[in-house]
Amino acid sequence: MTATTVPVTTPAYGPKDAVAENRWVGLWRIMQGYRFTYLGALVSISISAIARMTTFLLLGDLVDRVLAQGHPESSVLVTFALGFVVLAAFEGSFTYLGNRMAAYSAEHITLRLRTLLFDHLQRLSFMYHGKAKTGDLIQRVSSDVDALRRVFSEQAIGIGRLMLPFIINFIAILALNWQLGLISVLMIPLIMLTSVYFFKKISSRYESFQEQEAVLSTTLQENLAGVRVVKAFARQEYEKAKFEKENKEKYRRGKALVQMHAYFWPTTDSMAWIQMLIGWGVGSSLAINGTISVGTFLAYSALLTQIVWPIRNVGRLIVQLSMGLVSYHRVAEIFREDVEPLTEGAYTPTGDVRGEFNFDHVGFTYEEDAQVLHDITFHCEPGQIVAMLGSTGSGKTSLVNLLPRFYDYTSGSLTLDGVDLNSYPRGFLRQQIGIVEQEPFLFSRTIRENICYGAGREVTDAEVEAAAQAAAVHDVVLSFPNGYNTLVGEKGVTLSGGQKQRVALARTLLKNPRILILDDSTSSVDTETEGAIREALEQLMKNRTTFIIAHRVQSVMIADVILVMDKGRIVQKGTHDELLAQEGIYRQIYNLQSRIEDELEKELSSVGL
Amino acid sequence: MSDFSFEEEDFNSQFNGKTLLRILAQLKPHWQWTAGFTVAVTIVSIMEALFTYLGKLLVDTAIVPHDSSAVAQILITFAGLAAIQLINVFIFITLAGALGQRVEYDLRKTMFDHMQDLSLTYFDKTPLGWIMSRVTSDSERIAELITWGLLDVIWGLINIVTSAFFMLLINWQLALIVFVAVPILLVVAVWFQKKILVEYRLVRKLNSKITGSFAENITGVRVVKALSREDENLREFSGLAVDMYTASFRAAWLSALFLPAVQIISAFAVGAVVWYGGAQVSIGGITIGGIQAFVGYITFMMWPIQDLARVYAEMQHSIASAERIFSMIDTEPEIVNRPVAIDPGTIRGDIEFDHVDFYYKADQPVLRDFNLTIKAGETIALVGPTGGGKSTIVNLLCRFYEPKAGMIRITGRDYMDLTLHSIQSRIGIVLQTPRLFSGTIRENIRYGRLDATDQEIEDAAKLVGAHEFIAAFKKDYGEEVGEGGVLLSVGQKQLISLARAVLAQPEVFIMDEATSSVDTLTEALIQQGMEKLMEGRTSVIIAHRLSTIKRADRIIVIEGGRISEMGTHAELLRARGHYYRLYTRQFRQELEAEYSPFEAVGEGQAV
Repeated sequence: MTATTVPVTTPAYGPKDAVAENRWVGLWRIMQGYRFTYLGALVSISISAIARMTTFLLLGDLVDRVLAQGHPESSVLVTFALGFVVLAAFEGSFTYLGNRMAAYSAEHITLRLRTLLFDHLQRLSFMYHGKAKTGDLIQRVSSDVDALRRVFSEQAIGIGRLMLPFIINFIAILALNWQLGLISVLMIPLIMLTSVYFFKKISSRYESFQEQEAVLSTTLQENLAGVRVVKAFARQEYEKAKFEKENKEKYRRGKALVQMHAYFWPTTDSMAWIQMLIGWGVGSSLAINGTISVGTFLAYSALLTQIVWPIRNVGRLIVQLSMGLVSYHRVAEIFREDVEPLTEGAYTPTGDVRGEFNFDHVGFTYEEDAQVLHDITFHCEPGQIVAMLGSTGSGKTSLVNLLPRFYDYTSGSLTLDGVDLNSYPRGFLRQQIGIVEQEPFLFSRTIRENICYGAGREVTDAEVEAAAQAAAVHDVVLSFPNGYNTLVGEKGVTLSGGQKQRVALARTLLKNPRILILDDSTSSVDTETEGAIREALEQLMKNRTTFIIAHRVQSVMIADVILVMDKGRIVQKGTHDELLAQEGIYRQIYNLQSRIEDELEKELSSVGL
Repeated sequence: MSDFSFEEEDFNSQFNGKTLLRILAQLKPHWQWTAGFTVAVTIVSIMEALFTYLGKLLVDTAIVPHDSSAVAQILITFAGLAAIQLINVFIFITLAGALGQRVEYDLRKTMFDHMQDLSLTYFDKTPLGWIMSRVTSDSERIAELITWGLLDVIWGLINIVTSAFFMLLINWQLALIVFVAVPILLVVAVWFQKKILVEYRLVRKLNSKITGSFAENITGVRVVKALSREDENLREFSGLAVDMYTASFRAAWLSALFLPAVQIISAFAVGAVVWYGGAQVSIGGITIGGIQAFVGYITFMMWPIQDLARVYAEMQHSIASAERIFSMIDTEPEIVNRPVAIDPGTIRGDIEFDHVDFYYKADQPVLRDFNLTIKAGETIALVGPTGGGKSTIVNLLCRFYEPKAGMIRITGRDYMDLTLHSIQSRIGIVLQTPRLFSGTIRENIRYGRLDATDQEIEDAAKLVGAHEFIAAFKKDYGEEVGEGGVLLSVGQKQLISLARAVLAQPEVFIMDEATSSVDTLTEALIQQGMEKLMEGRTSVIIAHRLSTIKRADRIIVIEGGRISEMGTHAELLRARGHYYRLYTRQFRQELEAEYSPFEAVGEGQAV
């Protein structure tokens, strides 16, 4: 049971193994591999309960056989005394063992769930992530997984801890005197029902309390984020009143929640007291008329306490367990989704691709109803540059998303090196393709780690620096106090858009892909760095088939194939010179520059320049 | 992903009596409740000891002598005492629960109200997440300590004392033997509780790391896929998940070990009672019921010790929480009214920056010897590179910050002689990233003037050209904007914040123009709205759009905390300096966007 031997994901247990229509079956399936340990926990709890029960019987025995007889021998007393200690040791050891085994199973199950979820999520398709809400996913992988953990570590085992001793002690009472046994559980069903009834109420009040807590957090958060607005409008008093209202509401709901507890405990306590008094009353009269001994009465009295009081908690466990089942459903929903296979493909490539693409009437429909790309036809040779020009939503991004099979085209034919693109394994394609996004995502790691992120191999410091130098970001990195070990983001430095893009460039350089996709947006970058980036980009494009998503004519002029796109279609196609010779959008855009200069001239001359 | 991975810093402050007293002082305004629940808990606790004693009497005076009437008598007494106990249980849960909620409420209120008076410098230095934790979790922890924690302490102590009393009453020699176990148990319990607490804190920390890791992998899933990082990420995450497993499992088995340890120590006490007490029975030193009662009292004495140990261990963290809360409450606002500050009734007039120095960090001056006079009714455009000091000028003007040296005069008076409210309530400000609050559009516009009628709100919206898009909503002005306005576009948020500023009827108008692009139509509406606001008011605009810049009475180019150029549009162009370069570059960019032959399709489905 040591941590070092913990298996991570095993091929024997995959995401689909955790899925079931029925929630109870689902919980059972999640337990796979730990069922015996869990059973062991229940057995241990039973043994411990038996030891405890025996303690009470021993007490009765002590009274009847020793104390009531008078003049006990010291050795007998020592034996009894040791008996209590040994029984306690037994009870304690098995309580510990039971809890440890339960924790072992619960934590292992959670570990496996977490790891499976993490891996499953990162392998789900773009389509899935496009639709899923991040906040909701995070909720599922954190609070819902934790709720599931508690099902195993607290609630399921809790019901065992409650019911097993109940059964064992009840049997013991029956064995002492069966009539006594029956009258000892008269009130139990009522206590259980009341407990469930109250905890349903308590949990609904708790939910309403939590909702208000969320409202209060939002109010606070908005106030803090909008502190300038508050000050600018001198609305401090108004804000205080607003917070006061929500704060008071939380106080009110909190009080209402506690109030329910205040009703619950005395109510079930009074039922428990009635049961105790009935038991004592009957027990005493049986003892007085000699049906049972004094020792038996004492043992009974103690056992009665053991079955009556704990049962009040049954409602809490049942209600919490049912909430845990809801969480199971939410987690299983993620597992139900199919991942995109990374290694499957009808074609097994033997080496790097050359990078020859042929688009033949390619179409792409997103989610059946929305056709995003229509009738895309063009050809490019290895090492050529394809540039796409068009407005936001014209389909440029959708087109390049087809290349690494982030999405699969839905009609026509698309080949890479003469082989249908959909026959390539996705993982292979993605290794061959490098992408530099307009606003690249960097991770909260060091700059070095970010640069090495996609290399997929051990990278030396010299290589990292060389890549950074080529991407014109080396000097920037050195200007940070921790150099390449500087953390990016929240807890480290905040990089500007241009700096991020250059780190992403270095990242791509290290990856050394055969095909390159560039989102060429230098508009957010200031003039000095623009030149540096352009140089780095040109370096990168050499000998690689490159797709450029362009926003300005300047960046497409060098392309071998220029695609002017609009509403998912290619409206013009050709080289710069060809397109310039045609009537059309391209020439309009190109001519724009001279038109702008004319206007500027006019503008300046109006002030006498 | 600050929301997900905000880490609680380690605080392990030593026992601090002063802080503890200040925590207890929170109960002072509610002393009746405190007294009430203390009395109720005391009664409940004493009752419990009495029940055990009654159990002894039942055996010794009724069952052993075969006295049925005594049984009835004792059981009736039981019932009576139980009734009293139930009432008191009800009372203490009600009171302690209400008190806990109340103390939390009080702390939150005190903190929030105090925060409203704190200066921006405080919020610049203090991360939002840190403040959030103080107001939410720290206040809860303190309330927990002085209600349920206090309750456990009272309960536990009384249980120990009453148990001791009855044990001494039954057989004092035997009682003394049992007492030996108490200090042993106390030491063991404190040791365990501290260990367990440390372990749980580690678990919490790892948990937030795990959530952070999930969050990053989900938001960055495109990059992960593009770079085929799945296997490596899984390996890394597995390491983290295993750490989490190790810590959670350790915490769980440590907790599991604690209970049996208490049980076994108690069992030795029981063994001692049997051994020594058994011999006493025959010589009349103790009765059978007495032995039984002793076993019960041992439990009553031992169990509270673990509660006391837990409260003690948690108290140290509660004190740390309290210190953080008190440190916030004790923070003095940096910008306050002078004792003699007045409200001049109006701030229409010239605004002068007279040799103003300012810095956020002492070694990084932002403004140096800055001089500027803004004439009443004049429109000023501030232009220049980011970080040049434009925002600082505006912040100083609004008195969000005050000059480190020099003076700012409004209508000829040092503005430090005026009340903050008299300045800020007369300045209308529209920020670059418009901040809205959850609620309806109407409520957000009304923020500008709280007593505005619905008609006035609509008029303000019409004036800035926001009415059309608002009317298009299903619930028009009653439409919810979502948290921070997430349900609206940036342009819409800007229009609403313009309407909000219009409604405030400010004497001075300040705007930080947005750099992010909005569609042409909204852009035109915003321009129009701004012009309405600038009419007849002193206006200071941090300008990014050429049309705004051009129509200003004076353009001021700020670079490196100084004015590098100043004049009208034509004057500055003729100077062929910074402004000239800035203007021509921007001119090209704007026209390029404007003349683009592509029809704007909007953001659409970004696939």
